[in-house]
Amino acid sequence: MPDTAESLRCRGMRDLLPPEMARFRRVERAFLAACRASGYEEVRTPTIEYLHLFTAAGTLSPQMLHRVYSFLDWDGWSGERVVLRPEATIPTARLYSERLSGPARLCYVQNVFRFAGDDQSREDWQCGVELIGAGGPPADLELILLGLSALGALGLGDAEVVLSHAGLVRAVLARAGLTPEGQSASYDRLLDGDLSVIGEVEARLPELDAPLHLLFDVSGAGSGYLANVREALLPALPELEPPLSELATLVQVLEGLGRTCRLQAALARSFEYYSGPVFRFFIGDEDVGGGGRYDELLGLLGGSPTPASGFVLYANVLARLLPEAESDDVAAVLVRPSDDRADGLAAALRLAQGLRDRGIACALALDGEAADRQVQMQADGRLLVRLGEIERPVDGVAQAASLLGGRS
Amino acid sequence: MIKLALPTGDLRKPLAALLDGSGLHVEGYGEGSRSYRFSAGSNEEVSVRVFRERDIPVQIALGNYDLGICGLAWVEELLCRFPQEAVVRLRDIDIGEASVYVAAAASPRPAPGHFRIVSEYPNLAEALAGSLRLSAYRVVPLWGSAQAYPPEDADLALVTAPDDSIVRSWGLQPLAALLKGGACLVANRRSLAAKDVASVLGPLLSLGQRPEGHLDLPRTLSGLPSLGAPQAERDTVRLAVPDGHQQPGALAVLREAGLTFEGYDDSGAVARPRSDIAGLDVKVIRPQDMPQQVALGNFDLAISGRDWLLDHTTRFPSSPVRPVLDLGRARYTLVATASEDVPGDTIGEAISYWRSRGRSTLRVASEYANLADRYTQDRRLGRCQVIPIAGASEGFVPEDAEILIEGTETGTTLVANRLKVIDSIFESTSHLLGYEQPPEGRRRAVYDEVVGRLRQVAAPVPAGGA
Repeated sequence: MPDTAESLRCRGMRDLLPPEMARFRRVERAFLAACRASGYEEVRTPTIEYLHLFTAAGTLSPQMLHRVYSFLDWDGWSGERVVLRPEATIPTARLYSERLSGPARLCYVQNVFRFAGDDQSREDWQCGVELIGAGGPPADLELILLGLSALGALGLGDAEVVLSHAGLVRAVLARAGLTPEGQSASYDRLLDGDLSVIGEVEARLPELDAPLHLLFDVSGAGSGYLANVREALLPALPELEPPLSELATLVQVLEGLGRTCRLQAALARSFEYYSGPVFRFFIGDEDVGGGGRYDELLGLLGGSPTPASGFVLYANVLARLLPEAESDDVAAVLVRPSDDRADGLAAALRLAQGLRDRGIACALALDGEAADRQVQMQADGRLLVRLGEIERPVDGVAQAASLLGGRS
Repeated sequence: MIKLALPTGDLRKPLAALLDGSGLHVEGYGEGSRSYRFSAGSNEEVSVRVFRERDIPVQIALGNYDLGICGLAWVEELLCRFPQEAVVRLRDIDIGEASVYVAAAASPRPAPGHFRIVSEYPNLAEALAGSLRLSAYRVVPLWGSAQAYPPEDADLALVTAPDDSIVRSWGLQPLAALLKGGACLVANRRSLAAKDVASVLGPLLSLGQRPEGHLDLPRTLSGLPSLGAPQAERDTVRLAVPDGHQQPGALAVLREAGLTFEGYDDSGAVARPRSDIAGLDVKVIRPQDMPQQVALGNFDLAISGRDWLLDHTTRFPSSPVRPVLDLGRARYTLVATASEDVPGDTIGEAISYWRSRGRSTLRVASEYANLADRYTQDRRLGRCQVIPIAGASEGFVPEDAEILIEGTETGTTLVANRLKVIDSIFESTSHLLGYEQPPEGRRRAVYDEVVGRLRQVAAPVPAGGA
């Protein structure tokens, strides 16, 4: 269809052509292989979930909720709304609370739907993992290293880890003298990327002006930065000790494993459910995924309090970053019938199936289709294999398969 | 041509007076003419069309009209759901002062497992629920009479009133004002950017200004009912009777059946008329809202039209609302209409004509949005845009829609508006609606008495139900 024509494709939705699909599958394979190597099992949750899963305080921020695709189902006369899954962690937590128990290592490749203006993508694919039923720094480290492993397998260069802790911002907001309602509003704004909140908090805490600048305005590198923050803030804000200690453990282990990481206090994302360390992965300047600990989420969903953490990698972004590799798939061999009569077509179809049974991908040549590798059926039943410019007569399917690189 | 959309209803008279004062006299508008189109004095470049208020922001957003005036609440109702729409708020006008309140019953009951929020403004209600971070809630959109719902049929209602004393007079407790405002001048962004509308814009900008109203969604709400267990079985039978145009017909059939209710007569209706049948509660609500209210279990019986029943069951096929009796009144045919200038007498011929004129998307306007949607599928109309409307229907064709799906009794209103029928969809009459399972126990006798009396004056229900 010419570019000038009005597209029949919905705004914000995308088609993937074979080369793009091939890159997408490479991401998916690398991710799932890394997950399997670390003991994670694949799950799938429904595309449609109840809206109320996502509306409780501590799940999705109001701004995020305003972008979900919610509607009344065909049996929604009661007014109970459903949504196209806007993210995959909450549904996976729901699945766990309803169907599983004990430590569970789960992974998935799923699409999520969120409204975005103009031509921005409204359907994205996430490669995600959730570690539910076990928590603390060991779980956080397992996830960060799994993410780095999956990214490393794609050959896109070293990924950078940016770390934060949900407890840092929450402790500062509480100290700023905001009402619980005000704290919640400020946190929502911060999650939605409104960094002007930081200035407002700094104005309310003039005695902490310099330390807060160090915390919010400086994106530090590793344990050195963390030591500076502890020195500057802990005397005045001792409630920061638990989150800073957890971060120190993560940084120490990661540095010990030769992984550098950056620290950034306001690591904003529109998910309220994070309660502990949070992290993001970058390749160059590209944000390719992230996650964190969400120990309170299962309780909010009506289950018993359960430690949990997880992350997602953005499959669309990673597929776009991959070079257009040579396809793993060899172009199909075309089988050309001797004629269009029933006998000729049946013989060609039998030959095609015989080749497939010997590992050769093949299809009937339709409407003058041509390919580098073809098998021409002769009227007398003999076969002529063409490999580019070369033609060679063969006796039967086994010899044809052998010549085409399959099993004879 | 500069296209201006003006409201019907309560704003009409004060706005007409303001327009006269501004030098933009709209002939016949203030007098309440039944016409939908007017001219603006001698200015032949101005086309004025009258709409229900709630339709005006949508028409401005669609680009069908350059400028419009309507209540601020309807503008916010659109913008809070579709903030990227091409509607520009130019100024608030000092007429039609009304606030949108969120209110609960003066003596609220615990919400039955989730908050039931009713409103003519479902988008504002959804935004409020999000702001309050309600984890369990259901918004029930209404055509009107939201103030009649708490506490039996809703826990919260979004209502409009000039001030909170009016809200209290309805037996409600206003918990917060979400929006204080009046009329509002709005414009299409593209019209402002690329079209000379100055000859109309100038007079409109001289209309008396009032302070700009803002949507203020609270994050907490003092007086919010508590969440409780789902409601226990009630001990009365609840009957919904209609207000508005359907009230005279319903009154007639009820009288024939020997059912009279104090506060529901030719002079008007109160929200809760009194019945002398022990164990029968009566409430007045809009007929459009009745099928869903019966489905929700709020009412055992309701007098509405087959049209609204089918509009509801088309959207929700598994809904438990059923036709109990065909009352046989208010008979009319739901039809698809087009401008009489369109050649041909059938939908097929009309479609061929529009396609030959290069129209790739057909616009189908109707108050029956679900039926209109189904009609476009059943008749294979191809790419369509269904435009839900609140009224003033006959004025939509041909400028703002190709097809209008509308009820007609004699066809004279259609002819008067230069419309013709190109398809007949179904015949509608007034119906007694009920829940799929009649009540049991003590309530069954009351239910049977009401149904029995109405059955004596009803037409037989055709085979296959509604």
